[in-house]
Amino acid sequence: MSKWMQKLSENILDKFSMDFLRSQVLKNAYGNDDTVIAGLDPRILLAWYLFFAIVPWFADDIPFLLGCFLLVMVTTVLARVAGLVLFLFVLGIFTQTGYLLIFTLLFGGDASSVAPLLVLTLKVATVSLASVTVFSGLDPDRLSNGLMWYGCPERLSFSISYAYRMLPILMEEFQNVLLSYRLRGNPPAHDTAAGKIRYLVYQVRIIIQSFYPLMLNTAKRSRTTVEALELRGYRYAQSSRQVRRMKLASLKVTLNDLIFLTASILWTAVSILASGLI
Amino acid sequence: MSLIHIQDLTFTYPGASTPILRNFSLDVEAGDFLAVVGNNGCGKSTLCKTLNGLIPHFIAGDFSGTVLVDGENTLDMDVGTLARRVGYVYQDFENQIVRPTVLDDASYACLNYGMEDYLDRGKKALELSGLSGREKDYIWQLSGGQTHLLALAGALALGPDVLILDEPIAQLDPAHADRIYQILRDLNQKQGKTIIVIEHHTEYIADYCRHVLLMKDGRAVWKLPVREALGRVEELEESSIFPPQVTIAASRLQKQGRYLPCAPLPVTVSEGTRAFQKLSWKTQPAPEKAKAEPPRPVASFFNVSASYRSVKGEPHKVFEDLNLTLRSGENIALVGTNGAGKSTLMKLLTGLIRPGSGNISLGGRLISEASPEEISQTVSLVYQNPEDMFIKDSIKNDIAYAMQARKIPDWEEKTRLLLKRFRLTDLANRDGRLLSGGQMRRASLAIGVALNPKILLLDEPTANLDIATRKEIMYTLKEMKDITETVMIATHDMQLVCEWADRILVLHQGRVAADGTRDEIFADRRLLDLVGIRPPEIFALGRALDERALCYTVDDFLNAFKETRDE
Repeated sequence: MSKWMQKLSENILDKFSMDFLRSQVLKNAYGNDDTVIAGLDPRILLAWYLFFAIVPWFADDIPFLLGCFLLVMVTTVLARVAGLVLFLFVLGIFTQTGYLLIFTLLFGGDASSVAPLLVLTLKVATVSLASVTVFSGLDPDRLSNGLMWYGCPERLSFSISYAYRMLPILMEEFQNVLLSYRLRGNPPAHDTAAGKIRYLVYQVRIIIQSFYPLMLNTAKRSRTTVEALELRGYRYAQSSRQVRRMKLASLKVTLNDLIFLTASILWTAVSILASGLI
Repeated sequence: MSLIHIQDLTFTYPGASTPILRNFSLDVEAGDFLAVVGNNGCGKSTLCKTLNGLIPHFIAGDFSGTVLVDGENTLDMDVGTLARRVGYVYQDFENQIVRPTVLDDASYACLNYGMEDYLDRGKKALELSGLSGREKDYIWQLSGGQTHLLALAGALALGPDVLILDEPIAQLDPAHADRIYQILRDLNQKQGKTIIVIEHHTEYIADYCRHVLLMKDGRAVWKLPVREALGRVEELEESSIFPPQVTIAASRLQKQGRYLPCAPLPVTVSEGTRAFQKLSWKTQPAPEKAKAEPPRPVASFFNVSASYRSVKGEPHKVFEDLNLTLRSGENIALVGTNGAGKSTLMKLLTGLIRPGSGNISLGGRLISEASPEEISQTVSLVYQNPEDMFIKDSIKNDIAYAMQARKIPDWEEKTRLLLKRFRLTDLANRDGRLLSGGQMRRASLAIGVALNPKILLLDEPTANLDIATRKEIMYTLKEMKDITETVMIATHDMQLVCEWADRILVLHQGRVAADGTRDEIFADRRLLDLVGIRPPEIFALGRALDERALCYTVDDFLNAFKETRDE
């Protein structure tokens, strides 16, 4: 336990640095623009996502859910999702239901008690992986164009791509502010178990405190951005139907989209069939 | 008729008690290349914002007078229409880029204004800005100079007749700065664009601009052709603008009666070479070299290599087999082009970046064995962006923070002394972010030295400052001698290097390309060309007149060169 604690308190700032986070976010958003998934039409992918985000909640047969799960697992691999996101996914599944499943298995639960847990775990996992595929496989611009086609307001789609544009900058700034706290602060000694907990609390506290200067710095920066957006016609474009049409003109359904869609439908049909047979 | 006509313009920001522009009048001809100079806060940026309609359409305030662009009143046009006539590149240009890829950003405004050929316009603008071939790149793959060019392309894409740039070269090394100005010159001469720059670097004004507008307290003092304008040495100096060193030297000679009283003053090195032909170099007594024991090392690098992660592909290697020793009492200048690894070297010393291989020792102890918190007792780093140093709500609390955290006795008294020393006492309760550029730097220096570090590292301490503020920072640096043992500054500012440093480290492509005194570095022409650094103008002038001359300041020059007797 104390070893684990020590590792955690060392890691939170050292290994798991903002630099690492930043590169993972960038990798996640733009690092895989040459994958099969990234090349798909966002409208097709969003429709596909809608199916795998909703249907699993209403299905209860294990073969069908397993089929869906396998499919989204393949697409996740195809999308080459960044390591951090996968880690968060596994952590999320485990803390939601996975631990119950494992405990039930360990403490001699029989099939009747395992099955409902397995169903729940599969549902959550399928929906999460489908989300991961779509939201991290597509680059933010294509994603927001797809959303716009489905009638989402322009403001939302701009926010998505702008957030991705700003994130690396914000994280770098956050990193610098955090370093200021770190270098000028005086962390509690952490050789004893109690000290380690204090050190952990200290680290969490400076992370939280760092948000205050970060907000102020961001506010200062955004003054220029707001003016620049005005000059560059952002407000003008919001009310123009022509601009909307031009933005959506880049969306095209290709052969790859059809293959992807057909393969997904076939596989889903097979799993439905399989669940009917069993 | 003039392209821009301003008549009796008075503007007051909401909430301000005095107008920032008062009865301002100006005419700019089509095809001009105009430099706007003036001290901080004289209304330069405000003036530029009245030209693109941000004032009064977007920034409300008390507005009177007329501004005509191409014969039309800006009050009658909306910002969108004006943006297509007047392009604007901000000083903090990175905040004006809103899209993730290069072509996307360059064509963004055209798309928004519904131009069907927006991609072609974006491509054309990138071509004019020298960014061809980078269309698909993500913006964080660009260097600072390229990001600036992209901001320029974004403004150009709309095809404006007028381009306004607010301090375009403040953070760039000379090679990148030259490139920006060459592109501007092309746009001016080949595309017929009217260009207005806000600029402190008078040597660039001398080389590239046609007219100079001097502003003072919200008024136009004069607008003159460049040669005449830069010759008004005293008026410029009063407004904290420093004319080219060549011009200052000529003006001083004129005062001493050693230069024709009414002759026009030279403004560039080549003009200076011709104007000063009669001067000849007088052999200087060689400075005695005190060959004492070399002082003890405070930090050493042994075969250090370092790299950082990149979004795609292999990690980017910054250093390979770096060996270096920093000694007690040295004033070290770290120079090299953008991206040569200056910031990385500093971060290695503070333990923020761990070397991939090799060791760094600090006062006999290996850095890898200490945490950054422990290292921070010995080494202090002042960031390039002072805002990131302000973590409390007043600079007094910021300075006190590190001492308070370490329970240093008398921290209150020490904070008071530091505030006094850095002339911040009156500002003690203000938030650091809201101070002016120079005050912000001074505050960040005070924070940096609060723990009496043995080694102080400063990243670009004079970037983005006007010359008066720069001088003030240099004065502060000289004052700090007794606080810290070793100071290292990463900078592009060669005047700072010449006047302050006693050791210069030149970084080039991941290794130390040269390490020596200013005479050793600046006298080596081959080295300077190789690594793209440029000595101050007065040094170049001295050498153009006599290969043996090594003058670093105007005073050096005036002492070393005398009239040839037989004339």
